[in-house]
Amino acid sequence: MVPREEGFIQTGQRREEVVMAEPRPEVAAVDAQLSDLERIEDSEGSCASQTELLELASAHGPSRNPEHLCPGDSMVPVVFPGPVSSEGCCRFACELLKHIMYQRQQLPLPYDQLTVFYAKPSPQAEDMVRKKAERSYKKFQQALVELEGILSHLESLFARTRVPRVLILLGGNALCPKEFYELDLARLTLGRVGQSLSTSACLRRLFRALFMADAFSELKAAPAMGTIVMAQGHRECGEDWFRPKLNYQVPKRGHRLTVTLSCGGPPIPDSTWDDYIWFQAPVTLKGFRE
Amino acid sequence: MDEAVGDLKQALPCVLESPVINVEVHLRCNSTAKKEEIKLSVVKLLNRHNIVFGDYTWTEFDDAFLSRNVQSVSIVDTELKVKERQPIDLSKCTLALHVFQLNEEGPSSENLEEESENIIAANHWVLPAVEFHGLWESLVYDVEVKSHLLDYVTTTLLFSDKNVDSNLIAWNRVVLLHGPPGTGKTSLCKALAQKLTIRLSCRYQYGQLIEINSHSLFSKWFSESGKLVTKMFQKIQELIDDKEALVFVLIDEVESLTAARNACRAGTEPSDAIRVVNAVLTQIDQIKRHSNVVILTTSNITEKIDMAFVDRADIKQYIGPPSTAAIFKIYLSCVEELMKCQIIYPRQQLLTLRELEMIGYVENNVSRLSLLLSEISRKSEGLSGRVLRKLPFLAHALYIQTPTISVEGFLQALSLVVDKQFEERKKLSACTG
Repeated sequence: MVPREEGFIQTGQRREEVVMAEPRPEVAAVDAQLSDLERIEDSEGSCASQTELLELASAHGPSRNPEHLCPGDSMVPVVFPGPVSSEGCCRFACELLKHIMYQRQQLPLPYDQLTVFYAKPSPQAEDMVRKKAERSYKKFQQALVELEGILSHLESLFARTRVPRVLILLGGNALCPKEFYELDLARLTLGRVGQSLSTSACLRRLFRALFMADAFSELKAAPAMGTIVMAQGHRECGEDWFRPKLNYQVPKRGHRLTVTLSCGGPPIPDSTWDDYIWFQAPVTLKGFRE
Repeated sequence: MDEAVGDLKQALPCVLESPVINVEVHLRCNSTAKKEEIKLSVVKLLNRHNIVFGDYTWTEFDDAFLSRNVQSVSIVDTELKVKERQPIDLSKCTLALHVFQLNEEGPSSENLEEESENIIAANHWVLPAVEFHGLWESLVYDVEVKSHLLDYVTTTLLFSDKNVDSNLIAWNRVVLLHGPPGTGKTSLCKALAQKLTIRLSCRYQYGQLIEINSHSLFSKWFSESGKLVTKMFQKIQELIDDKEALVFVLIDEVESLTAARNACRAGTEPSDAIRVVNAVLTQIDQIKRHSNVVILTTSNITEKIDMAFVDRADIKQYIGPPSTAAIFKIYLSCVEELMKCQIIYPRQQLLTLRELEMIGYVENNVSRLSLLLSEISRKSEGLSGRVLRKLPFLAHALYIQTPTISVEGFLQALSLVVDKQFEERKKLSACTG
């Protein structure tokens, strides 16, 4: 399946424009939603089923919560109307990682466009130009391989264990990053494949909430920096690629954005997660620019 | 009644009677076991070995749980205080277990954003780091420099804990190590930071080491340098605010930041440099209030440092070139390493200096090679630690060039390379002189 978050990015930007022109937020939201629907239809045609779209239209009520957003610390709650699959959880984490890396200028293009548009330099080009392009191409390939590595290992981690939390840390080190993004999956109810919500519908809801919260527009332009990915997993899950960090604590400093996903079910007691520890990806993704 | 007193004595832990033995437990990087379980297993292991002679390291374990989770268990630093190796009865000692896992990622850089340019002002490590593992053990000093430094920080923490009024009894959390180049001042600072992070792992979750690039704090704009220093220390302040962290600030070649201000009066130093010194001094006064920070500084030229800074240093430790005994130890550790890597083959046990002393330096089959090594050590006096550590490499490169060599062949090459080193030195001084 083709990931669709570029569509979201564009709708997000469109929403900003709409807000600027139109002071009433309700209308803006509806507008954005409409444009979003159009976009989905444009890009996918008949792929998006009618039910998904309907669900989307009714969904954004609880996810909108702009009141408590302050520039230092923000929170984006997203409520799904039913259980999700564990593969779905993995997709949420992966898509969020790709999205953040693009939004925070660590990738020159959105991930999925990157693979298509970032072509190898043509051999006919002038010597100097070609050399420069080749160097940058090498850098790009390296960055892509590392990112793909993390994505695939995240997949195997999610297959091994329940992952209640994922952290994406930018700049500095794992303990004091410049900014960090937290994905809280602890409140989700996991369902079996047949009985859980469609992952793409959930993804859309997640990204809609992100754009509604307007989480990235206030941030200053970021220099190229390192991105560290951390995930919580069960102590005994036997993970061998991610490195366990027994002492790790979520940083208290730095710009923070928390995305909380939940299914609206009864709260899960905190003691459930006692035996879950942090794992850190052994590679730091290097920010890459043209 | 007497019996009851005796019982009471046994029940109460008596700190004075039982010396504390530090045991470092190095976890494997993929271990996920709980610390309490690890500690229990290690105590069990130590109970089976009641008497040990000096420092000792276990790397192989019968227990499957331990071998799965633990890289090594080491009894450390018993020789810092007591020079002689003597049997230690573990059952009579208080055991302090320090469980740690090394951080594999290298340093991250701390940037100061100036308009249009980005200055890398410091390197930043999360401790304990892989890079510094074994550094402490590799540093050999004659006087009790290491235990001295450890005790200093322990006292600092005790005073902070007991809330000693810092207006009445002042301490600044500044350590200044000075001495000729190549004697391991910077390494000692890094090793100390690592050691203390491990030792104090029960109080602080982790350590941070910030190595300031002094030269980068000088701005190209006149009068801006002082501001850069302040900015740098603001970043450090942010780290200190996290009370879970023990923060070490390492200022290498501190004379560049704190050049004596009286030299400025002669007019040779621009006044911007004065502002830097002033900024550093006030910033140090600012951060010394916090209990979780230690400032480590090194210098080659002490007379160039501002007196006000020297005054602030609680410990001004001179680190000189190693003595014959220390040189012997350094060589011995080098030979040991090469035997481990099987470049020196077959393995032959060399005696330590103390063992040589015990047999009265009598030459026989067992002691012959060790005596040769002690002869080379005597000859090497005057060379710095940095030079000594590279001599085995040079010996191989210049005089051996085969994949394996016997101990004797290696020592002969080492002897030659020492002579060559002194020759080169003589030529160099002849040229410059």
